[in-house]
Amino acid sequence: MTTAPIQVADESLTGPLVWSLALHSVLIASLAVSTFISHQGDSWAGSPGGGAVSVKLVSGLASPPAGVPLPRPEVVTPNRVVDISKGLYKAEPQPRPKAPPVDAKQIPEFTKEKKPHYVTPPSKVLEDKTPPPQNAVPYGQGGSPSVPYSQSQAPSQSQAQSQFNVGSGATTGGLGFTGPGGGGDFGSRFGYYVDAVRRRVSLNWLQSTVDPSVRFAPRAVVTFDILRNGSVANVQILQSSGNASVDNSAVRAILGSNPLDALPPEYSGSKVSVEFWFDFKR
Amino acid sequence: MRNDRSLFLIEDERSALAAPLRIAFLFAALALLAALPSSLAAQDWFRTGTGLGVSKPRVAVADFAPRNTSSSPLATLFGDVVRSDLDYSGIVEIASKSFYPTQVPSIPSELNGTVWSSAPVSAQFLAFGNLTVTGNLQEIQAWFYDVQNTSAPAVIGRVYHGDANDEATRQFAHQFADEIIARLSGGVAGIASTQIAYVSSRSGNKEIWAMDYDGANQHELTSLRSISLTPRWSPDAGRIAFTCYPTAGSILSAQICMYSMLTGKMISWPHYRGTNSAPAWSPDGSKIMFMSSMYGNPELFVADADGGHVKRLTYAVGASTSAAWNPKTGQQVAFVSDRGGTPQIYTMDADGGDVQKVPLPDKGYVIDPAWSPNGQLMAFSWRRPDGNYDLYVMDVASHDLVELTRDEARNERPSWAPDGRHLVFESTRTGTRQIWSMLADGTNARQLTTQGQSESPNWSPK
Repeated sequence: MTTAPIQVADESLTGPLVWSLALHSVLIASLAVSTFISHQGDSWAGSPGGGAVSVKLVSGLASPPAGVPLPRPEVVTPNRVVDISKGLYKAEPQPRPKAPPVDAKQIPEFTKEKKPHYVTPPSKVLEDKTPPPQNAVPYGQGGSPSVPYSQSQAPSQSQAQSQFNVGSGATTGGLGFTGPGGGGDFGSRFGYYVDAVRRRVSLNWLQSTVDPSVRFAPRAVVTFDILRNGSVANVQILQSSGNASVDNSAVRAILGSNPLDALPPEYSGSKVSVEFWFDFKR
Repeated sequence: MRNDRSLFLIEDERSALAAPLRIAFLFAALALLAALPSSLAAQDWFRTGTGLGVSKPRVAVADFAPRNTSSSPLATLFGDVVRSDLDYSGIVEIASKSFYPTQVPSIPSELNGTVWSSAPVSAQFLAFGNLTVTGNLQEIQAWFYDVQNTSAPAVIGRVYHGDANDEATRQFAHQFADEIIARLSGGVAGIASTQIAYVSSRSGNKEIWAMDYDGANQHELTSLRSISLTPRWSPDAGRIAFTCYPTAGSILSAQICMYSMLTGKMISWPHYRGTNSAPAWSPDGSKIMFMSSMYGNPELFVADADGGHVKRLTYAVGASTSAAWNPKTGQQVAFVSDRGGTPQIYTMDADGGDVQKVPLPDKGYVIDPAWSPNGQLMAFSWRRPDGNYDLYVMDVASHDLVELTRDEARNERPSWAPDGRHLVFESTRTGTRQIWSMLADGTNARQLTTQGQSESPNWSPK
């Protein structure tokens, strides 16, 4: 008869359970709301580049431009320094792995095909049957988008300019735009010139100048100015690829293209700034 | 008093009005200040990049419209030469003529860009224009349009005036094509207006000849009636140095001779003892390196462009010849020497120091070094032990090799075009020794000469 009061006390747990459920749901809801709010912050909507947000999404995940505090992808460098293959001699005595206790009795257990005691719980990630969203990037294939960067990813130095250019209605950019992005109407007026610069620099970008052990490197972005007479000035690395030899080869490609073709005679400005990205892949 | 008060009131009202005005002005000024630096610094910028390889732009060259019946052949010639120049430039893809619409524009207002930019022509650029012959003068109006850019399609517009003959029309077409190529390649000048000097014996003796880069307009430069060899253009393309065999008494010895393209006459150059041959210009045109046996052994010497201040550079057992300066730096010279037993290519500093053998397998003969204009590649001919002469290109830094010719008789004496994309060389693949040119990756070979025997080509630097 002493068990009866204890059972009564057990039944009173439903109250706290409800509370706990309610609080947890509030917590989850607030988490969801905060994620939503944080993703709607300045870094996404504050850019004036029109319909360019989706470009930023993809590329922002893969290689964030300077300014967005996201981690950059690691350089896949099959380098000797980090090679995990065995050396010629033992540098340090390896701690002996714990030898499994040799138990002769366990082997007959396997021969009997005894089922394991545990059951693997279904993985929510691996066995999720819902189709991935259409714009999902497969794991490990993020990389940089083949479309050019759009207005929304203008570096901070050119944000102000692009804002002014919005007023003139001459901006270019966006996911569907196959031409080069840029500020002002240079890219749209003199598309052939932009193409020519790209072609020239590409041809002068020699794979042999990159460390042969590098197979792939994240995007390197180099900025420079083209003066009236076509000479190249002010070459700077805006965003390093994380690998010095790739960065150097990119700068060499630009310096090797100096001087470029003179700016189009119809263009009135004295110089044009260029942001040139290099995606290295062997 | 009242008056004063009213005045005060008015003043007060004025100041009350002025306050928001002032603030507005302040804001306007601030806005101006904020806008000023950015409008001053509001230079245009664009973003582009590479990594996926580059595609060649697709170009259509419409037939140039003859303005009257007498101008028809020249109009056809102009269009054909421009098309051929662009096709051979290696940097564009020419849309096949059979795709072109029947209605071709002759002036920009007649241009319907979408017809050309859409399939089947699918061109990004279109060259078009017209040609008028009046009397013995011709006028060519030529345009080059970016037909995929509807707002600002004009890239080039030119008018050419000149005599109404084939040669002038060809020159204008080459100029127009060169301008297109320079625009499309980002500043690398085209080579359509360049020339090739070579040695031909079709007139009975080996004389120096010159021709357009496409083999047209072949003409004899020298008439020395002896033997002339190894022509080399000066960097300004104003002179040609070559090996000649002047008759001095009864002795026939090789000397360096100089021909002026400007006057069309020989320029005197000092004669030295022994055999003197294979001149090579320094990239600044101030010096000439040549082989001479003035002290007995054939060694390399360097002299001023007028032949003075001779200085010996090599001291080795065996001959040294066929010097080629690094055109980019002018600090390095490649040459051929048999000091190791067989003719091989060596490099040294321009003052003769730091001689090094180019590390190639020591088999056969390696001769005729030619440095590419950017100094990164070296073309040469290699006679392998099985007896074949073939052309190779080597990356000077990494010593990586590319074989350009194979199983096509003898291919020798490469010379680079100033754009670094083309090579000219001599080949016996037709049975006789003739001049050929090709893209520097070994493709697109075409024969330039057909008559007699022609050899030892050298591409003019401009």
